Amino acid sequence: MVFQDTIKLAPQQKGATDITEIVNGLVRDAEIRNGICQLFVHNNHSSLLIADTADENTKNKTQEYLAMLAPSNDSTNRQIDASMNAIPSRMRTALMQTSISFPIRNSRPALGAWQGIYLWEQAGQPDERNLTITIVGE
Amino acid sequence: MLHQQKLRFSTRGRGTYNITKQITEVIAGSGIRDGMCHIFIQHTSASLILCENADRSVREDLDAYMARLVRDGDSLYQHNDEGPDDMAAHIRTVLTQSTLSIPVHKGKCDLGMWQGIFLWEHRTNSHKRNLSVTVMGE
Repeated sequence: MVFQDTIKLAPQQKGATDITEIVNGLVRDAEIRNGICQLFVHNNHSSLLIADTADENTKNKTQEYLAMLAPSNDSTNRQIDASMNAIPSRMRTALMQTSISFPIRNSRPALGAWQGIYLWEQAGQPDERNLTITIVGE
Repeated sequence: MLHQQKLRFSTRGRGTYNITKQITEVIAGSGIRDGMCHIFIQHTSASLILCENADRSVREDLDAYMARLVRDGDSLYQHNDEGPDDMAAHIRTVLTQSTLSIPVHKGKCDLGMWQGIFLWEHRTNSHKRNLSVTVMGE
């Protein structure tokens, strides 16, 4: 069986937004008991991440670390057009994932106790984001 | 057909652990001949990689490179409840993979000759690590 849906996520602030509950809802609707779920985000300025849910600091500090790796004011960035940080946000996305997948067990994401699903917005002026969910299983 | 099972590994501190044999055994036990194997690690301070399996120094160098890229105890971090390797382990996980998917062909992992599947422990202490393995196909 295959379930597929594309939803729109409202514009989010730069940084990590927990979308675990939204994904849990979609997985419930799919009525697939066991299988694999893939999430895919349709743009170059945000990424998907499975990260620690326990401490907000882990996400804030990861964002600061990525900003250090791909700073907005780097002189190697030639493209300064629509958004001042267009290139750094793309670099950060390239260092992370535009799609993630995880097992589905008993109609729920089989995540670890401290794992959550996040949309990681890298752009300074975020837009609405399209997210496609595909579940294959039985 | 779908086969799903858990694997549990004991790690002995930071470094890479070859788990190719255990994954191969799961595929063999599934009875699935052609399809896909999906491996998911249920933690945010350990990850999965495909890596060269012949020369151990490749993985030692990878670990040394990662230690330079993501420094333990960096003054940037706030999240250090469990020691200087705590936040570094979360960032190392984000920069690598929580999931691997590998084709299954003729009942085996269709890896390249020099590819191995490794669990990468990012914490300096020993840990128990849970993996969920899903094999789909026919």
